[in-house]
Amino acid sequence: MKRVLASVLSVLVMLGALAGCQQDKKAALSAKPVESGASSMAKKEAVNLTIWYENDQKIGDALQAQLNDLSPDVKVTVQRKDKMTDALKLVGNDPQSAPDMFFFAHDKTGLYAEMGILAPITDFISKDSLSDFIPMTLSAGTYKDTLYQLPIYFETQMFMYNKKLMSTPPKTTDDLLKFAQSNTKNGTYGFVEQHSTAYYAVSWIHAFGGYIIDKDAKPGLNLQGTVDSLKYHKQFVKYQPSDGDYNTMTALFKEGKAASTINLPNLAVDAKKSGIDVGFAPLPTVNSTGKQLSPYAGIQGVYVLKSSESGKKEAITSVLKALMKPEVGVAMSKITNDAPANNKAYSDASVSSDEIVMNLKNSADTVVPMPNVPAMDVMWSVTENMLSAVNKKGGDPTTEAAKAQKNALSQIADMK
Amino acid sequence: MKKKGSRPYLYLTPSLVVIGLIVIFPILYTGYISLTNMNIYHWFHPEFVGLQNYAKAIFVFDSGFISALLRTVLWTVINMVLQMVIAYIIAVLLNTEGLRAHKLYKTILMFPWAMPGYVSILLWKMGMFNNEYGLLNQWLGKLGLNGVRWLDGNVSAFLSCTLVNLWLALPFMIMIIDGALQSVDKSYYESATLEGAGFFTKLRKITIPLVRPVIAPAVVITIFTTFKQFDIIYLLTQQQGSKTGADIHTVITYTYEKAFVTNNYGYSAAVSVIIFLLLILFSVFTNKELKEGYR
Repeated sequence: MKRVLASVLSVLVMLGALAGCQQDKKAALSAKPVESGASSMAKKEAVNLTIWYENDQKIGDALQAQLNDLSPDVKVTVQRKDKMTDALKLVGNDPQSAPDMFFFAHDKTGLYAEMGILAPITDFISKDSLSDFIPMTLSAGTYKDTLYQLPIYFETQMFMYNKKLMSTPPKTTDDLLKFAQSNTKNGTYGFVEQHSTAYYAVSWIHAFGGYIIDKDAKPGLNLQGTVDSLKYHKQFVKYQPSDGDYNTMTALFKEGKAASTINLPNLAVDAKKSGIDVGFAPLPTVNSTGKQLSPYAGIQGVYVLKSSESGKKEAITSVLKALMKPEVGVAMSKITNDAPANNKAYSDASVSSDEIVMNLKNSADTVVPMPNVPAMDVMWSVTENMLSAVNKKGGDPTTEAAKAQKNALSQIADMK
Repeated sequence: MKKKGSRPYLYLTPSLVVIGLIVIFPILYTGYISLTNMNIYHWFHPEFVGLQNYAKAIFVFDSGFISALLRTVLWTVINMVLQMVIAYIIAVLLNTEGLRAHKLYKTILMFPWAMPGYVSILLWKMGMFNNEYGLLNQWLGKLGLNGVRWLDGNVSAFLSCTLVNLWLALPFMIMIIDGALQSVDKSYYESATLEGAGFFTKLRKITIPLVRPVIAPAVVITIFTTFKQFDIIYLLTQQQGSKTGADIHTVITYTYEKAFVTNNYGYSAAVSVIIFLLLILFSVFTNKELKEGYR
């Protein structure tokens, strides 16, 4: 009896273990796109669309609120997904598991386009209908001449200062250096920044005519401009905490121990909450080149997955049209303190009266969208190794730049 | 003896299926991917490329890999020696006769083990080693000394990582040695004392031979985890956005930076298989040594 029972239980456990592998046919059927032959039926039935996002919950909630009006014809579910970039790599071409659209920064555009999971948004809306958008935000989501992202808002770094510690913001980097030299003492600093982080240091590189990587995926770490920026920028590092990490630098500014910094808008909001009287100024100009520091910009927007293109075209088009409205940029700006991509949003009083947002908007012509080529994935680490070797270990800029360039080329080759 | 036929295998089948799915299948699948060109340019329809990725992966094992390998060996040896010595001393002190509140001490000593490693490491990074706010530099400042850039230089970063590894790993070793010491019959020590044996004679002749079989498996496990250590070195010195400039790559962090950020899964899988084979060789070697030690 015991043997029979044990055998039966063994078989049941085995079946139980394998049960999870079974495909949910019912779910699979309901997830299938509506075929064109049943178009008359489809018009009456609601089309369900899912949009994934990875950001803060409040951003998802704001997007959801903007899309609820499309119901009952189109029911949109804005769903938060942890590790979305990895999830999209795994299921991006599977209509049963992938969402229909997703909301993300523009810098992964090339990666997903090369993987073949993105549908151009111009399949749904015309390029002419985007004429109100800031050109920089449109070029950010364009990869190999194809527009994949509908931009909603963008953020970039700005020069901010503590009005108690800095009366007049510097117009040039030489002025900033002088200020840092004379105001760095006893645990307080004239100027702090994440000096050895690629995302922040790149504004110096651009001002000297260098770059990390261009649109053809060619690294520029050993360019004369890049090397010159490393040499010049090193002088500033002497008057800053060597850690140069986010926590240290932002804490110094929020605690009133740093007179000025270059950072993202959220720091200004946090510093104001901490009682700092924050002022904003244009990023200083490098004396020797006459160029303004020009940081990277990150553009957040919506993508359409190729797997859900057929059968849901009308519904996706209606979602994109809804998200193109200036009201969406206004609503998102209120939550994120970032700048709307649609120029029309700036006629709204709440946006035009926001000092932070208007500063971002005014910098739109000088900032550089983060490169969206897949090779950028390896450049972050390679560039940061170069920066930390120069800024923290006293490495020679020319030698370290040459080493980094070689490393970058080898890693880009390894991607293929 | 009665022949049992295939019934035992039937009973084992559920477990074997589960083991096969969660252990064997990923290894085999990694092996399969390593023979394809699965990268972002051939993501959903990778082609078979034979041993091409392995040939490319061998170039990962350049001069940088050799120095990382030597550093990993040094890291493992230093950490293991320090762990064994410190854990032994603490375990002996915990077993001192008449020690009051020894259970409380044991609980406190286990505390680092109870905390998630990721949290502990970042707390050490910000709370202790940070040049500006770290406790160590604050102390030095109070003593009128200049702060030290703990994580910037290669030697200081290596020592700092070793300190954090000890903090995280000692509780396990203390627990094992403590248990092993308690299993030794006290009458051996009493007889040895009567015979006039001193502390070191008792240690050499009684304690070590008797605790060795108990702690040996734990030591082997710890050697493996120390050799494969990624979190401490990566989070303290190489985390993106806060790299410190120290070049103290171990085998794992080196290959991670060289291979895994490239999104080339075929190539990364080939590197993984090579590391896997290295660890298997190491495992076979240590198992053989252990068996010989028991004889």
